[in-house]
Amino acid sequence: MYSLRAADPMEQFEIVPIVNLSLGSIDISLTNSALWMVIGTGAIILFFFAATRRTALIPGRTQSLAEVLYEFVSNLLRDTVGSEGRKFFPYVFTLFLWILVANFFGLIPSLPGLPHELHTFTTTSHLAVTLALAMLTITIVIIYGFWKNGLGFLKLFAPSGVPPLMYILLVPIELVSFLSRPLSLAIRLFANMFAGHIILKLFAGFVGSLLAAGGALTLIGIVPFLGAIAVTALEFLVAALQAYVFAVLTCIYLNDAVHAADH
Amino acid sequence: MADSFQKDDADKDASSPLDAFSDRLDRVRADHDPEEKSEGGGAAWGNALRLSTELIAGLFVGILLGYGLDRWLGTSPWLLLAGIGIGFAAGLRNISRSMK
Repeated sequence: MYSLRAADPMEQFEIVPIVNLSLGSIDISLTNSALWMVIGTGAIILFFFAATRRTALIPGRTQSLAEVLYEFVSNLLRDTVGSEGRKFFPYVFTLFLWILVANFFGLIPSLPGLPHELHTFTTTSHLAVTLALAMLTITIVIIYGFWKNGLGFLKLFAPSGVPPLMYILLVPIELVSFLSRPLSLAIRLFANMFAGHIILKLFAGFVGSLLAAGGALTLIGIVPFLGAIAVTALEFLVAALQAYVFAVLTCIYLNDAVHAADH
Repeated sequence: MADSFQKDDADKDASSPLDAFSDRLDRVRADHDPEEKSEGGGAAWGNALRLSTELIAGLFVGILLGYGLDRWLGTSPWLLLAGIGIGFAAGLRNISRSMK
């Protein structure tokens, strides 16, 4: 019989230390979140190692998949940033794959009976993780923008073709709009993963409670069960979509950094 | 393997292998044309989900900046009020930019 504790939809987001470590007074324990980051990163490295180990003119399955992924991100960068976007390819490709794999791995069901530390964990369902990724993106945009355009980067905040008096109003608006970018980037990914996993857990919890209730309620249990299946399918779509959206927006922001002076 | 592929194409096009290759190259180039942007269902979904957070994020940053500056300069509550207005405008600007 499953314990009631397992039906708590928030339990899956708890961060539990697996190996306690500390650096001075800083807690650097290996947590379940960190473990799944390592698993995800390791899986990506292993996959590309396997895909590029024996490259053939006519690719096999793994090589095809690697090439499709490569071309997908490569086309995305060329469409949004142009040829100058090539130098950002490693960053966008890594970002896209990492989020994609983190989202997908979070959908793997936990094996029943495992201790809480080893339950499947969705790293991207934590704002700290997504905000760190978004901050990294915006830091690259700011540094590259100033390095490439000098003070011309500031033209981003002063759109041309408006009466000078309007700048009093427009510059603060554009500035706030720019600063809100990492936040909206982070919140979107986090909220999608967080909400999806809660809904999934709630549906699954209903199935358990209805089955346990007995009688006619047991039959009604089929409804949330079908719901859980539908939500699982939707979550796979959302997982891929959010990784894509994060990559697209990163490209759009990089485009601003590259072409800021052309405004 | 590669040979059989080439032969197939050559038979189909009934021209020299070089022409067949040129045709294939043109087809690949057409696929890679930057003019041709895919308008799939995925992109539309992404757009729809994106807009919801844009407004909130703009408003949040505006309020945060206004509140922070107020505490720093001791001008409460005027910069917070201005921050709400500017944040809302920035949120709308975010939306109009991402719908472009």
